[in-house]
Formats: sequence, C-alpha cells, structure tokens
Amino acid sequence: MIPLEYYLIVSAALFSLGLYGLLTRKNAINVLMSVELIFNAANINLVAFSRFVGGNLEGQVFALFVIAIAACEAAVALAIVMSLFRHLKSVSLEGASALKG
Amino acid sequence: MNVGNLDTFGSLKFFVPEIVVVFTMMAVLVLDLVAMKRSPWERRLLLVGPSLIGLGVALFYAIRLAELPASSLFNGMVAHDGFGNVLRLVFLVTSLLVLLFTLRSKELEGMHHGELTVLLLTVTAALMWMSNSLNLLMIFLALETVSIASYVMVGYMKGDRLSNEASLKYILFGAISSGTMLFGMSLLYGLTGTLELSGIRSALENQEALVESGPALMVIVIMVLAGIGFKMATVPFHFWCPDVYTGAPTPVTAFLSVGPKVAGFAVLVRFFYGGLARPSGDAAFEMVGAVNWQAILMGISVLTMTLGNVTALLQTNLKRLLAYSSIAHAGYIMMGAVVLSGEGIQAMVAYVVVYLFMNLGAFLVLIVVHDAVGSFDLKDYAGIWRRSPLLTIVMGIFLFSLMGIPPFAGFLAKWYVFAAVIRADLGWLAVLGVLNSAVGAFYYIKILKTMFLEGDDVPEPSSPLRLHPMHVGLLFLLAVPNISGLFLWGYLDRITEYSQKLLENL
Amino acid sequence: MESLAPRILFWFFAALMLGSALIVVHGRNLVHSAFALLATFFSAAVFYAFLGADFLAGAQVLIYVGGILILLLFGVMLTNRIFDVNLRTETFQVAPSALVAAGVFGMLTLLILKTPWRQVSLVEEGPTTEKIGSLLVTTYLLPFEIASVLLLVALLGAAMLVRRRSDL
Repeated sequence: MIPLEYYLIVSAALFSLGLYGLLTRKNAINVLMSVELIFNAANINLVAFSRFVGGNLEGQVFALFVIAIAACEAAVALAIVMSLFRHLKSVSLEGASALKG
Repeated sequence: MNVGNLDTFGSLKFFVPEIVVVFTMMAVLVLDLVAMKRSPWERRLLLVGPSLIGLGVALFYAIRLAELPASSLFNGMVAHDGFGNVLRLVFLVTSLLVLLFTLRSKELEGMHHGELTVLLLTVTAALMWMSNSLNLLMIFLALETVSIASYVMVGYMKGDRLSNEASLKYILFGAISSGTMLFGMSLLYGLTGTLELSGIRSALENQEALVESGPALMVIVIMVLAGIGFKMATVPFHFWCPDVYTGAPTPVTAFLSVGPKVAGFAVLVRFFYGGLARPSGDAAFEMVGAVNWQAILMGISVLTMTLGNVTALLQTNLKRLLAYSSIAHAGYIMMGAVVLSGEGIQAMVAYVVVYLFMNLGAFLVLIVVHDAVGSFDLKDYAGIWRRSPLLTIVMGIFLFSLMGIPPFAGFLAKWYVFAAVIRADLGWLAVLGVLNSAVGAFYYIKILKTMFLEGDDVPEPSSPLRLHPMHVGLLFLLAVPNISGLFLWGYLDRITEYSQKLLENL
Repeated sequence: MESLAPRILFWFFAALMLGSALIVVHGRNLVHSAFALLATFFSAAVFYAFLGADFLAGAQVLIYVGGILILLLFGVMLTNRIFDVNLRTETFQVAPSALVAAGVFGMLTLLILKTPWRQVSLVEEGPTTEKIGSLLVTTYLLPFEIASVLLLVALLGAAMLVRRRSDL
C-alpha cells in the first residue's frame, strides 16, 4: 500500500513545477499548460484525500467537476488566444503589451 | 429561525429566482435564432425585452421569498438567509441596469447582441449561486461559471485589440488564481475530511492537534484568498483590474465593478465566518483554527484602500481611474469583514447596496460621454458643463457619493463601516479609512473641476450634448438613490437588519 | 510483506509525470511541451487508478487527453507560425523562479510531513462508477445542473469568440 504522503509530495512537486512555468513562460499557451499542471496537482490531492481521509467519494466527485471546469476554461482560453492571434497577425508584431500595467 | 436542511424537492420553491433567470437565458438563446433576419435595433429589443421581463420576475420572487425562514437547500449546498437574499436583489438589479446600458452603447454598436445577453443572464444566476454557497465544490463551480462568462464578455469587442488583450490577461490571471485556490481547497479537504463549510468548522474546532495543523491552515488561507482576492480585486491580487476594466466594453466594466466583486465578498464572508469562525455571544464571532485571519484581512484592507486611492491620483484615463477607485472601495468594504461581528456584515451589505448605485452611475456617465465625444480621457471631458449641465450635475452627484460627502448616500455607507470598525475597538482602521477618503476626494474633484471649469479655454464648436431619453431616464434612476440621504437611512437600516439574519444560519 | 511491484510502478509513473511536467514548463519547443503534457495527464490517470478511482481515471483520459490536449494541440498548431501570442515581453529569470518554485516545494513537503492527517482505515473497494453516478443525482444534483449551464456558456463563448463574421 502506498502511503498518503507519497501522493501528496508528488502533487506538491507538480504544483511547484506549474508555478515555475507560470513565472518563466511568456507564451500564452505555455502559461495555460502550466495552469493545467496546477489543476491536476489539486485533483491528485483531492482523490488521494478522498481515499485516505474522507473514506467516501466526495473528493472524487469534486475532482470530476474540476476536470469538466478545466475543460471549459481551456476551451475559452484557446478561443481568446485565437481571437488575439488574428489581430496580431494582421496588425503588428508586438506582443500583447498595448495595455500597460 | 433555522428550518434546517432541505432536500432537492423541498428546495425548489426557494430557488425560483435562479431558475427563472436560467430559463430566461435559454429563451433568449432561442429568440436569438428567431431574430436573425431583423434589423439590429429590433433584434436588440427582442432579446433584451424578454430578459428584462425575466429578471423582473426573478426580482419579484426574490423579494417574496425573502419572507421565508432561513434554511439550507439542496442537501446543504446552498444557503437561504437574509444575507444571501439581499445580495440576490443586488445582482438582479445590477443586471437589469447593465442590460439597459447595453441597449445603447457605441462600443457595442456593430456587435451581435444575443450572446452578450445570454452571458449576462448566466453570470447573474451564477453570482446568486456563488454568494449562497455552503460547500467548497459549489463555491468553486459557481466562481468558475462567473469567471468564464466574464472572460468572454470582456473580449466581446472582437475587432478591438485592447478588448482581446484584456480578456487574455483576465483569463490567464483568473486561471492562475482559481488553480491556486483549488489547491488550497484540496488541502483543506484533506485537513478536515469534508467539503461542507459547517463540517470544516466543526473539524477545526475539535482539532486536538490544533497547533500542528497551524502551518497547513495558514497556507490554505493564503491560497484560498488568492482566488477570492482576485474576484474582489484586492491587493495583491488586483493587477488584472485596471487593464481589464480599460479594455472591456464599458457596460461590461460597469457590471464587473459591481457583480463579481460583491460576490467575491459574499464568498469571503461565507468562507471565513461560516468555515473558520463560530458565533460567540451577542452577534459576534470568534475565529476557529490556529490562523489569525482577521489580521490578514486587516492588512489587505489597508493596502487595498491605500493603493487604490494613491494610484488613482495619477490616472488620466477615466476608465482606469474608476478601476483604481473601485479597488479602493473594495478596501473600504473589506473593513466591514474585519470586525468579526454581525454589525460588520451589516455594514458591508449597506456599503454594497450604495456602491451599486454610485458606481453604475459613474460608468453610465462614461458611456454617455463616450457616445458623444468618443474618448475616455479626462482632457476630453473639459467643458462638458457648457454642453450639458444636466450630465455634469448628475456626475457630480455620483462623484460626491463616491467621495463619501454628506448628505449623499456614499457618506452613509462609509458611516456604517467606520462605525462598525470603531465599535470593535479598531479605531485606527477607521482613521486610515477617513484619511483614504480624503485622498480619494482629490481625484474625484479633479474630474468635476475639469468638467466645470476648463471649458473656458476650449474653442467654441461645442454643440450642446443631446442625451438620448433612455440615458436621461437611467441617469435619474441611478442618481436618486444617491441623493436620498436621510430617506435612505431608514431603508438601509431595514435592509441591514434583515441581513443580520445571516447569523442564524451559521 | 507488501509486494514490490506496486511501489515500483508508482515510482515509475511519478517519475514519468514529473519528468514530463519538467519538459512542459521548461522545453523550448511548444509542440514538445504539448506532447509531454500528454504523458503528465496519462500518469495522473494512472495515479487515480492506483487510488481506486476507476471512473475518474477513465474520465481523465477521455476528457483531459482526448479533449483538452487535442484542443491545446490545435491551438499550438494554428498559432505557431511566425508570430507568437506572447503575453509579456519580459518575464522572470530562470534561476530566481526555480528558487521560488523549489522553496514552495520544500515548504509544502514540510507541511505534508508535519501535518497530522487524520486517516480513515475503513475504505470500500470496488468500482466507483455506480456510486458516483448516484451521488451526482442525489447529493450533488445542484452542482451537476450548474455544470451543464457552465458547459453551455463555455461552448457559446468559445464559438462566438472564434467565428469569422463579427455581425453574425
């Protein structure tokens, strides 16, 4: 039997890698992929806790909803990227920096 | 009086407003197909008309339902109490008004109206769910629904580069913050073994190993605050706010500045007061668990107020300025969340109700001027007084209210919050609030000054600004609650007393 | 005495997951990153299977790999020509970010090892599909319905953003 902590540590590593990706990546799709890593890390937590701490399927149901939500988010994110890409392709070469902080 | 947990069938009748809004959304979706062949104006009417009716019906039912006793619905997923009911009204009214804004707006001129209406209706329903959620799963789901619909609304002006960029920034920041919040929630689930807020509270109360779980709880609180703070646009999760507000179509910005922000505060209250605190004594709360989240929220409130106000001073683009102004107001609202008492929650609700009218009004003026002049820059507002005294006076009302000057409603709102803070022995916080309001007065007055005075240097071709009758009507509608001052006091008292009933459910 | 095989499998897939995640966040080539993400998602599905979540493992493969990843690949292929959709022109340097990430990882690990997780010994084994199904229509009915609204809105929004004619 694999102890709870092993799963948690792996998911923590996944979270940290996702965080690293968020900090260093500048392409929007790369950032989206890093965010997906974070979602998956949280999901692993949920399922692991569901088995070890909850004893019921609550965590798994939550993870299921998260998968659906992440799918929606990815779809809309890519749609936005497409929309912006159409603009950049026809207008100018600069990155999305027209809006200053 | 707490009627307890209701199962699915029993809950349906409490849920009518949300159901009505969702069905309206679906009807509009179908109507959109029917309306394809007609002229744009007819199309808009055909879509917005039924939406308004639907929202009106929902509003009616929401008010009717307010009389029924408190309970939790759908097996503990969603609450039904005074706090949630008042906020439901806030969201429905906001939606109604913003829908009217969208009917006539130069930015949305060439765009197809159907999807915007559908998205707006969906967000309204989702906001209502979000502010009533009692379960981590519900909170996350409703929050994401609000977010995803908002991302699309912000990017609605597909031809406009700024709009596209704004929605990209919004979605990426949003995804990051909700991913972090989810991770925190997963840890909380692991710590307590349950997804329900009430269960979390009991688990944290009974924790013998309280001290050892402290660090975990701290990390959880910070992570969950990342998600909630993003919605509320408080420091340090506010970075998206100015860019997104500036790029989005102004009716959408107006909506974002009220709807999701208020829902964020609702989640804040439900999560912290319902999960990490328990009622103790007379309308007060005490924290549960080893983390002093009150201090964290205090810090956030101070930073948010200050940063919002100070940065607004430097802005020349009015949309950006109002973005920072709304960040500052979030700081004031947060002060009510910090006091750990029913009075604080009441103050928050009062502020929110007033804020709705102040902020939507200010944005409406922005829309009207943009329709006439085509710009959001402060310098293009010079001399509006000569071209339309009515507009300037009304803007003055909104700005004075935002400043918090008596006898305008904004002053009442601040009074509520500061009073609650002082009564909780946090006088220093109130002092900071007053100082911040003073700083805020500077930029609001700057706007008014530009509208009044600088018109004298402007070369003559200023034709009088003719306002569309609908805009005039809306401006009146929004201005009146701001002036009512003393009249409003009575209403606000009633509303806030009613929202006091939050305590019965926690 | 537990058999060694499960442990070896676990570590193998953990390594696969983390290794491919590293490629995702650090790889130069966007297409390589996207395919590495495939391995990450798949390993996560294997983890769910390890934890007895058979339905979830299937759902993960179907939705994440079969849906989201394909979508990402489309996105990569369609935008990866000459212009990159860059979010920002300056980002953080690699070394400090790696330090921050490592620090967060260290803190989380400490947290995980120190916190007294209250573990439950009684666990029902067996297929979860039926149980999840019945949960979705009883306790979790409301989220289920709301999720359908969310899916509708996401569909609508994405389609609207991508279609060609702006007046349609």
